[in-house]
Amino acid sequence: MIKNYFKIAWRNIVRHKAYSAINVAGLAIGVAACLLIFVVIQFELSYDKFQPNYNKIYRVVMQQKSGDVTEFYPGIPYPMSEALRVDFPGSKFATVQTSYGSQITVPANTNNTTISSADKKFTEDMGVLFIQPQFFDIFKYKWLSGGADVLEAPNTVVINRSTANKYFGDWKNAGGKVIRMDNRLTLKVGGIIEDVPSNTDLPLRVLVSYSTLKSHLAEYDLEDSWGNNSSNHEIFMMPPDNQSVSTINTQLKIFTQKHYGKNEAKTRFHLLQPLSDMHFDTRFGNTLGDHITNKATIRTLSFIAVLIILMASINFINLSTAQSVGRSKEVGIRKVLGSSRVQLIKQSIGETGLIVIFALIIAIGIAKLALPYLKNIASVPDDINLISEGSVIFLSLMTLAIVLISGIYPALVVSGFRPVLALKNKITAASVGGVPLRRVLVVTQFSISQLLIIGTIVAVKQMNFVNTADLGFNKEAVLIIPGSTDSISLQKSASFKQMFLQNPGVKSVSFISDQPSSQNNWSANFYFDNSGTDKNYHLYMKFGDADYFKTFGLRFKAGQPYSQKDTTSGIVINETFAKKLGIQNANAIIGKTIKIGGGKWHPIVGVVEDFKTNTLREAVKPTIIIQDKKEQGEIAVKLNTRNLSRTVASVQKAWETTYPEYAYNGYFLDQNIADFYKQENQLALIYKIFAMIAIFISCLGLYGLVSFMVVQRTKEVGVRKVLGASISSIVYLFSKEFMALITVSFLIATPLAYYMMNSWLQNFVFRIPLSATVFILAIAASIIIAWLTVGYKAITAALANPVKSLRSE
Amino acid sequence: MLSLKNISKYHKAGSLKTTILQNINLDVDAGEFVSIMGPSGSGKSTLLNIIGMLDEPSEGYQYFLNEPVHQLKDKQRSALYKANIGFVFQAYHLIDELTVYENIETPLLYHDIKSGERKALVADMLDRFQIVGKKDLFPSQLSGGQQQLVGIARALIVSPKLLLADEPTGNLNSKQGDEIMELFSKLNKEEGMTIIQVTHSEKNAAYGTRIINLLDGTIESSKNI
Repeated sequence: MIKNYFKIAWRNIVRHKAYSAINVAGLAIGVAACLLIFVVIQFELSYDKFQPNYNKIYRVVMQQKSGDVTEFYPGIPYPMSEALRVDFPGSKFATVQTSYGSQITVPANTNNTTISSADKKFTEDMGVLFIQPQFFDIFKYKWLSGGADVLEAPNTVVINRSTANKYFGDWKNAGGKVIRMDNRLTLKVGGIIEDVPSNTDLPLRVLVSYSTLKSHLAEYDLEDSWGNNSSNHEIFMMPPDNQSVSTINTQLKIFTQKHYGKNEAKTRFHLLQPLSDMHFDTRFGNTLGDHITNKATIRTLSFIAVLIILMASINFINLSTAQSVGRSKEVGIRKVLGSSRVQLIKQSIGETGLIVIFALIIAIGIAKLALPYLKNIASVPDDINLISEGSVIFLSLMTLAIVLISGIYPALVVSGFRPVLALKNKITAASVGGVPLRRVLVVTQFSISQLLIIGTIVAVKQMNFVNTADLGFNKEAVLIIPGSTDSISLQKSASFKQMFLQNPGVKSVSFISDQPSSQNNWSANFYFDNSGTDKNYHLYMKFGDADYFKTFGLRFKAGQPYSQKDTTSGIVINETFAKKLGIQNANAIIGKTIKIGGGKWHPIVGVVEDFKTNTLREAVKPTIIIQDKKEQGEIAVKLNTRNLSRTVASVQKAWETTYPEYAYNGYFLDQNIADFYKQENQLALIYKIFAMIAIFISCLGLYGLVSFMVVQRTKEVGVRKVLGASISSIVYLFSKEFMALITVSFLIATPLAYYMMNSWLQNFVFRIPLSATVFILAIAASIIIAWLTVGYKAITAALANPVKSLRSE
Repeated sequence: MLSLKNISKYHKAGSLKTTILQNINLDVDAGEFVSIMGPSGSGKSTLLNIIGMLDEPSEGYQYFLNEPVHQLKDKQRSALYKANIGFVFQAYHLIDELTVYENIETPLLYHDIKSGERKALVADMLDRFQIVGKKDLFPSQLSGGQQQLVGIARALIVSPKLLLADEPTGNLNSKQGDEIMELFSKLNKEEGMTIIQVTHSEKNAAYGTRIINLLDGTIESSKNI
């Protein structure tokens, strides 16, 4: 029996090739898209779940109220690490200090640790941690050699397998070898751990014993004081099973009062963040890993996947019920031959099942081809797998759902045909499953595609705006080279600057701590105009020498830059700061003084026009620019755009000869700024791709439906033509309904899209207005696309010779 | 074998009531070969459909093999006709996507007959109608007469007690028509098959044992030959 069903299903598929192709293509693309989204979501949701204590681990984080804003910090002050252990004796703790962009030097001669030009230098963007041995009581990893106890001793390092292979050729040779870190630490390799899976926020690569840190606090921006909080200094906690999170949070309040004092504790307190939230909580900024993912992004993706699969299923229902008219005779015969309704439903579902399985196989093929490009729209590793236990279950469930959604309705319609009518060919499109339902389905489809079209237009427009926005400074052709502020480097800086400026391709050079637009925040409390009490908000600092303004092309509103040898240590502030201080006329603020924290008074020598101090997601902050050699570890080089690559090469060479012990990591400022918006650009790309898929699927559906209508109405068209209908009126006959449906779906899609994209735009302080043009563009696009789809078929039908179409009757 | 008592059939469209059959009383015994005749629109096909239980009368009592059909539920009625009635159509109504062999086999599938037995039955039938050589062809590759042969073979494969034929020769030329009629006559005489056919042709009607004439939904005459 089943064989018979499949046989007839197969012959039907082959007989209606075009029709089956539309069905299969639409579904295959939809399923492929969903499968890829599933892979991404599954990856994101799997972060650190491999840890056996996943649900028991917390990070102790900090909240601070400054003015009317609450800020969230992932880190804790240095002394708190020990204090927590004393005050919470039943819990396990592990402190971790991350060092981003550390340089690891592998000496060429292992016996001799003196500097040699043959040393191998590596810059590790992430995964370099100062770590306590207790970390391994909480988190579980596989050790290839050594064990957690080697991390008790200072100046010891544990490396993961692939990093050890990178440094020493083979990890088996690494034991007992020596490496240098940041040209200040000499570390002995005490153990090797297996590589950590890529779905982790704790990428362990180079693990330095935490006790090493004690004598190098300042170099790693730490201070043994409760007042200094570093985001890189984090602590993980595993409370005993019988203690609830709320109990500990209450105890943490008491803890805070005890150590910060009652007053401080009012604005600043610590709380637990579950490990399971860490990958999704954007308030705390980035984790130790390469990215965090907003839950909203995951929801948007899932939503899009559901929409796409819905559209593909709708195609199926629409086309199958339409096609069932042609099958009515067969159904009639089968009923007369004794088939029961259930048997017919089974047959119909069987056929749907066959097409779905066929589409599924093609979908897996498409997904496989597209997989290498997935990393362009999502932060997934290169070696991510398409087929896993999860995706097989997902595919099976999806197949089942599609077969049920898109199989049952047509099956019910078909099996319900009355045999006498069916055999007399009295079943028509209108009598099958009702026109209203089909209209609802087409409207749903077009609403979805318009929603995605609007999403695309808004996202692309906003990203264009972001990428071309005037940041208030010149980001073109500025090379930034991260360096060091150790005493030897500082001694070389003046002569080095002179040497650079000799190069005709170099326009200007500045030693800086931070570029104008960055994701860094360095804030402090301050006093204004000889006042004895500090303001209730913080100022933000960027350090740079006198050429900072020239190098970045900052525009002065009043005053001028400080000079290189300014002994009065003047500062430059931005307009926002001036306004926040309540002074409208920029000139009036020149000469007034500011004291930062417990430092000395600085006169204000200039006011610059506002530049974007951070990403465009954030407002311009009250910012000062000030010189301090000890903070200016980066070099900004403004280049002549002519012979750019040659100049870059010679700059790199000069830098490497001046600082032989450091690895060169120069980058261009404009590229770096573009990277701020990686996730948003990915989202814009996702919208683009899925809008195209949605349009494609709805066009397939529309085309199938119109072809079907044309066949059904051949006779009607013939009669109309004989009665004198013009070609245009026939074309109108076919397209007027679709135009009406598109208009209805526009009315549904618009408010949804407005809501969705408006809330997305709220991520940006600097954003485009959501204007009517966006929506007009979307409906215009839909109508044009629908016309192109419907038009050809409609015109062919209109041009057909009525003699032919009527003869068959 | 079957008995119709005061059977009427009408359609209502708004306030307009169209009568198709009115007060039909008809008894058919096993072994009869009845031809129903009458002009277009006289209700021949509707009567045949009611006998075959594909259509329901609006009024009246209907018995088939002593079962009161008018009292049966849909399921019981389908079971009854599935087991006992075979249909032959004017337009053959073969399934275009299936081969000759598969078309003949299909009713057996709905009768839950096992694969081995199915093969034997279909082989017998192909043999009997001398269409073994055509078993892998599709309906579109056959002539009208051959298609009707397949249609009859398909109707007979489940060994029905009653064969209903709605203008079985209507789409055939006279030579093919004669062959089909010879076949019906042979089935009736040699195997005792009860047959009811609807026909326009006097000549074809003469193959039967009784001729019933319908006019405007009533039986005008009924005569045995």
